Amino acid sequence: MRLDLLGWTSGIEALIATAMLTTTSGAQPSTLFKRFEGDEARVRGVVSKIEAQHGSVLEHNRLDWLLEASECEVLDLLLRWRYFNVSRLGGDRWLLSANLRTVVEYIGEVEDNLSKMLMESIMLVAPTLHDCIRRQQV
Amino acid sequence: MRVEMLSNTSSEALRAALPDIEVSDSELLRHMSFTFAVESISRVCSHQLVRHRVASFSQQSQRYIPIRRLRERVVVPPTVDGEAEDGYFSTVEAASESYEALVASGVSREDARFVLPNATETSLLLTIDGASLLHFFGLRCCYRAQWEIRELADRMLWAVRRCEPSLFKGAGPYCYQLGHCPEGRFSCDRMQEVAEKYSKETRG
Repeated sequence: MRLDLLGWTSGIEALIATAMLTTTSGAQPSTLFKRFEGDEARVRGVVSKIEAQHGSVLEHNRLDWLLEASECEVLDLLLRWRYFNVSRLGGDRWLLSANLRTVVEYIGEVEDNLSKMLMESIMLVAPTLHDCIRRQQV
Repeated sequence: MRVEMLSNTSSEALRAALPDIEVSDSELLRHMSFTFAVESISRVCSHQLVRHRVASFSQQSQRYIPIRRLRERVVVPPTVDGEAEDGYFSTVEAASESYEALVASGVSREDARFVLPNATETSLLLTIDGASLLHFFGLRCCYRAQWEIRELADRMLWAVRRCEPSLFKGAGPYCYQLGHCPEGRFSCDRMQEVAEKYSKETRG
């Protein structure tokens, strides 16, 4: 199995921080997002406080991968994790996508090669979240 | 009401990453997502919105965020004017006074909010995949949809057309997407007018 990250929602951690504060701060989400954009320290400060039971704030994004895997491997993944989205591109090549909530939940429950590759994707698109997972906070 | 698209996955970037592979628009839409800031809509509208359960929402919480100056924080339907407006606002004032009195007497905000009207404004972050967004437009841009969520759907449509004009060129109510009205005997019989409105690339 091979996984290549093709694309993702821009400003993922700024969106996570925006979602976290939209529910509790009273500020408008567009105002929050503009405050967070380009202010990595501020974003890191908020995202590092993320808690496991509030996984919905991880849903405001999508990651897209090129997956090389057999039919059986893809079927096994979909039967166990219905929130992954898959399109066959031909042969053993698939377009795979999911949001970070799905990815984080998979990593938390499964220890396999796919889990390691997904973790590498998180390190690239959401480094603060990656640190939280490594500290087993999420 | 204020609607802004904050972020999305780009079809151009995805297609560029798959140069040798043909992916149809409808297939690609399933793998794309769009995030909007939806602000100052009524709780009536947000109740309808969250019925699109495939989307993700982070909404302002009335447990944590106190409601102040309720009179300035309500949505007023356009049909409420003249004498009706007086009655409308007297009810809002009464709800506001009850809410503040309850909070002042020690009732928690999560319980005091039970007296707040459906007109109370709320704001939220909404994320939805491209295919579900197309379905949302099909239902909610329809002239039979309630006016506030129709206005919201229109604003979201114009926002996505700015960033993905090709993918959402055919987006709009189902009569515009399909070329026929699926509402049967409830049809508004205004397909021509609808087609003219949604064939414009951006809001005119």
